[in-house]
Amino acid sequence: MLAGEEVIEQMWGVSLDRLYESAEGQRILSCIQCGTCAGACPYGEHMLYPPRRIITMLKAGLIEEVFDSDSLFKCVNCYTCMTKCPREIKLTEILLPLVKEQSAVRLEEMPAELQKAIENTYRYGNSYGESARKRAAWIDTIDVPIRILAKDPTPVDILWFVECDLSYHPRGQDAARATALLFHLLDLDFAILGPEERCAGDCGRLSWEPGLAEALVDYNLSIFEKYRFNRIVTNDPHALDAFKYRYPMFEFKYKTTATVPELHRHLDRLAPMLSRKLDYLVTYHDSCCLGRHNGFYDEPRALLEAIPGVRLVEMEHTRENSICCGGGGGGMWLDTWYKQQDIERLSDRRLREVIATGADVLAVACPYEVSRFEDAVKLAGYEDRIIVRDITELLVEALGGH
Amino acid sequence: MKGNGEIRIGFYICHCGSNIAGVIDVERVAEYAGTLPGVVVSRDYKYMCSDPGQDLLRQDIAEHRLNRIVVASCSPLLHEQTFRRAAEAGGINPYFVQMVNIREHGTWVHDDAEYMTGKAMDLARAAALRVYAHQPLERKQVPIKPDVLVVGGGIAGIHAALTMADAGKHVYLVEREPTIGGHMAQFDKTFPTLDCAACILTPKMTAVRAHPNITLWTWSEVEKVDGFIGNYTVTVKRKARYVDEDLCVGCMECIEACVYKRGKFDDEFNVGLSKRKPVYIPFPQAVPPVPVIDAGNCLHLSKGKCKDTCVEICGDRKAINFEIEPEYQEIEVGAVVLATGFQPFDATRIPYYGYGKYPNVYTALELERLVNASGPTGGTVRLPDGRTPERVAIVHCVGSRDEHYNRWCSRVCCMYSLKLAHLVKEKTGAEVFNFYIDMRAPGKSMEEFYNRVSTEGVHLVRGRVADVYAEQTDEKKTNGQIGRVVIQAEDTLIGRIRKIPVDMLILSTGLQPQHDSEDIRRMFNISCSAGGFFLERHPKLAPVNTFTDGIFLAGTCQGPKDIPDTVAQAGAAASEALALIDRGVFELEPNTAYVLEEECSGCKSCIPLCPYTAIAFEEEKKKAEINEALCKGCGTCVASCPSGSIRQHLFEDEEIYREIHGLLAYA
Ligand SMILES: Cc1cc2nc3c(=O)[nH]c(=O)nc-3n(C[C@H](O)[C@H](O)[C@H](O)COP(=O)(O)OP(=O)(O)OC[C@H]3O[C@@H](n4cnc5c(N)ncnc54)[C@H](O)[C@@H]3O)c2cc1C
Ligand code: SF4
Ligand code: SF4
Ligand code: SF4
Ligand code: SF4
Repeated sequence: MLAGEEVIEQMWGVSLDRLYESAEGQRILSCIQCGTCAGACPYGEHMLYPPRRIITMLKAGLIEEVFDSDSLFKCVNCYTCMTKCPREIKLTEILLPLVKEQSAVRLEEMPAELQKAIENTYRYGNSYGESARKRAAWIDTIDVPIRILAKDPTPVDILWFVECDLSYHPRGQDAARATALLFHLLDLDFAILGPEERCAGDCGRLSWEPGLAEALVDYNLSIFEKYRFNRIVTNDPHALDAFKYRYPMFEFKYKTTATVPELHRHLDRLAPMLSRKLDYLVTYHDSCCLGRHNGFYDEPRALLEAIPGVRLVEMEHTRENSICCGGGGGGMWLDTWYKQQDIERLSDRRLREVIATGADVLAVACPYEVSRFEDAVKLAGYEDRIIVRDITELLVEALGGH
Repeated sequence: MKGNGEIRIGFYICHCGSNIAGVIDVERVAEYAGTLPGVVVSRDYKYMCSDPGQDLLRQDIAEHRLNRIVVASCSPLLHEQTFRRAAEAGGINPYFVQMVNIREHGTWVHDDAEYMTGKAMDLARAAALRVYAHQPLERKQVPIKPDVLVVGGGIAGIHAALTMADAGKHVYLVEREPTIGGHMAQFDKTFPTLDCAACILTPKMTAVRAHPNITLWTWSEVEKVDGFIGNYTVTVKRKARYVDEDLCVGCMECIEACVYKRGKFDDEFNVGLSKRKPVYIPFPQAVPPVPVIDAGNCLHLSKGKCKDTCVEICGDRKAINFEIEPEYQEIEVGAVVLATGFQPFDATRIPYYGYGKYPNVYTALELERLVNASGPTGGTVRLPDGRTPERVAIVHCVGSRDEHYNRWCSRVCCMYSLKLAHLVKEKTGAEVFNFYIDMRAPGKSMEEFYNRVSTEGVHLVRGRVADVYAEQTDEKKTNGQIGRVVIQAEDTLIGRIRKIPVDMLILSTGLQPQHDSEDIRRMFNISCSAGGFFLERHPKLAPVNTFTDGIFLAGTCQGPKDIPDTVAQAGAAASEALALIDRGVFELEPNTAYVLEEECSGCKSCIPLCPYTAIAFEEEKKKAEINEALCKGCGTCVASCPSGSIRQHLFEDEEIYREIHGLLAYA
């Protein structure tokens, strides 16, 4: 796991031609060609150039050949290779995005779904292509007071960065409503940006368009400057990553955490509210950014275990060894492309592990996952065996009287 | 000067071939030095350290009645002793010599001739002024105690103890387990020759016990160490064994007779693969062949209630005694050999290798026990469900060469992995896959061994294992059979991801320092290298010495190594210790610190600062007292004393002030 400003400084500053000028770049030279990265990668077997080979090609001066391949379009930024690399080479953070950018430039044709998502984000600040005005529309569907800073700019403790999926996607909105209710019941002082919010841009930097990512960073920073708040809480682990590891390069100085660890901090007050017994066998899917990249393995489990009646069961791959849902690194918009190449979607693969546990509920903590897994469940015809719920939804379901 | 009579200094500048003279105008420096106060002879010479160079010093001392010498040449580390000896041979106190380093601090780092010539003059002036004030000093001698302590009874400790005992020294061998033998006693065969470990080890173990010059204390630990080179006072705790070693005849009837009819507690020697009783012996050839009673599990000792069948069967021999208390023995030794060995990396720290999660994932040490004819299965390799494995994978580098765990290569695991591959194949006929990153086979006969095992048909896959998971099978769990685990790794040589289901997985865990190596380090006042292994004084030239005189290192406590290297190092440590002891006395450098008793206020502030724990508080006088034998002359206390009551020989205030004065006096 990453820690400290040092690494942050290293990251954006690095470019391929000046790779070895930074300590983290130089570390790439220490690669022992062990193949752990390739062997651990969920799509390793489909890559002509998995990270190990990228490094040899780079050292041999043949990196151009790697740019010409689409290998890294199969990288879902899951941090698995980076976490297991015995030389602690910052693959997912430094090397892979740089190579991916170049591959994107040379791709004959950008996969259509991804192309659309990029364009939408440029134009509307969200990949759905929805109007910015409708970003806070969901708040009218819930009976909880939610302050929008533009309307009431008085200082606030928590700036809740809702993110696109929770704002626009119908299943995301369920989690948004659940989170709002929990924050409200916990008496947290929070407000949202509403129509002023735009995509945080983490996947942008890591997967395709650095230009887009930087535009979003600039924009969001200019909005943050307008208001006074103590910290940022977001449901989207990708946004957490953006704020924790990338924004600080641009003078961003706010403390940021994700909703799960934030709720976990208040568990002693939250637990007594969970009075309704939920007789579920639950398995939890570790989100890559929340787990591998930020080390929140115990917090989501503790929240689930606080629900009366809930029994937890672990999948074959869990915690640092969890398998990505396939949504990261642009994967969210590459499902059709994968299908064309006859590559199994990771959410479908992961679902087999979910089913093997015999669980009734798959609990998740990342907004991509609800829709991805529900889709996988439908495709596999498991609707009667498993339901997918965001942790916040399960907590709200257990609220009982509230 | 302080009644030393007239000061007559000889100044010598060395050319060191062209090393110095190639940059510095040595003649000019010599000429300048000749003008300094007290200098009566000033010369330049091609090689001062050569025999003619040293002769020159001696002749000048006689001819010119010199009583101080300054040599401007290389680093004092190289030749200070040479010139001191030459001065002594010439009849003056060796501490009347001062060196000026104009090579390492001069011509090797500067190429500006003018600048360097000037700098050499400045340094020469400082030295000439300083040496003026030098006082005659005497090297003291401390007698060395003739006995030796060896801590740790693995193959390293055993070999060192036997070597020294054979040379006629009395050796105390302290081992914390109930038996000596260490890790080697757990192996069946040893690479590269595949000779039987017990056949070569047990005779040495018995020899230790039989040796008249060895006092063997097993089930014992070092509690406290005081003193200094040649004069260590060591307190050893002999834990309560509850079986009197002098009375026990080694019949083992008590074990048979124990109220527990079969083993119930994890057998440490078999790494938990079998159960033992509360009264037990680690293995039949244990030395001493005396059982030990585990107080936590013995009914008499833990509950106070038992039929005491063991005592009954022991009968008149009366060897079992529940009243035995831990005993503390104080011994005095001249030297210590540390041979505390290693501990294997804890495989549970890498969760994705599945150790502790899947019953068919083993550590290499567990396999050593399984393949061992005297092990828990009598040498048959079986899975926990009783089946013989058909496919086995061995993962190299577990916990080694990894920034997350241990950075170093553990050196022996490639070879022991090949050994295990061979043994498993031989015993089960299984297909064996070794997953390695680099095959490390240095050392005599190792490559040949690698060659041999490769041709036996072991699959050698170049790739570090990236994931281990249960094989998904359609049928529900079949009659209690343990499912296979899938080994996933990139075969880097063909560039493919391989997923190989196996019945058994063996993790070749690396070697790391003992869990309590930090305590031992502190007790013996030595240092550790970055990874925590004990640090040798010099990696090439003093590999068995430590920075503390009289403490030597043997075996894997100093770093990972195989048995041949361990034994070689143990022999080296033994001979270093012998060389020290046989000298009978140890000469102390006189540049130590001393306390001006009248001025010391007894504030004790120097005591914790001394890195060599050389300062003690003299309770009666209420003053600090420095043990010259321990003081290394680092000067820390001198600078720290708030009342300025600590001084140091060869670094007296006057000497230092004069030197500074000389340096700063450039015109
Ligand atoms: C699985 C495995 C297989 C191996 N196979 C081979 C092989 O085939 N061939 C080969 O050449 N090498 C092999 N090795 C390496 C071999 O084990 C070592 O080289 C050898 O054991 C080192 O001996 P040692 O005496 O330094 O340490 P150890 O064997 O570890 O002995 C140290 C002893 O010191 C004792 N001790 C520790 N701390 C204290 C203390 N504070 N006070 C008192 N006593 C203490 C311990 O109880 C132990 O008895 C293998 C290693 C492993 C892990
Ligand atoms: S895991 Fe790390 S060291 Fe191993 S091949 Fe990949 S980048 Fe290199
Ligand atoms: S980040 Fe994940 S998907 Fe990308 S290369 Fe590494 S392991 Fe593969
Ligand atoms: S000896 Fe071999 S298995 Fe052991 S750490 Fe070194 S390379 Fe890895
Ligand atoms: S000079 Fe250094 S070693 Fe000597 S007593 Fe003082 S602090 Fe200790």
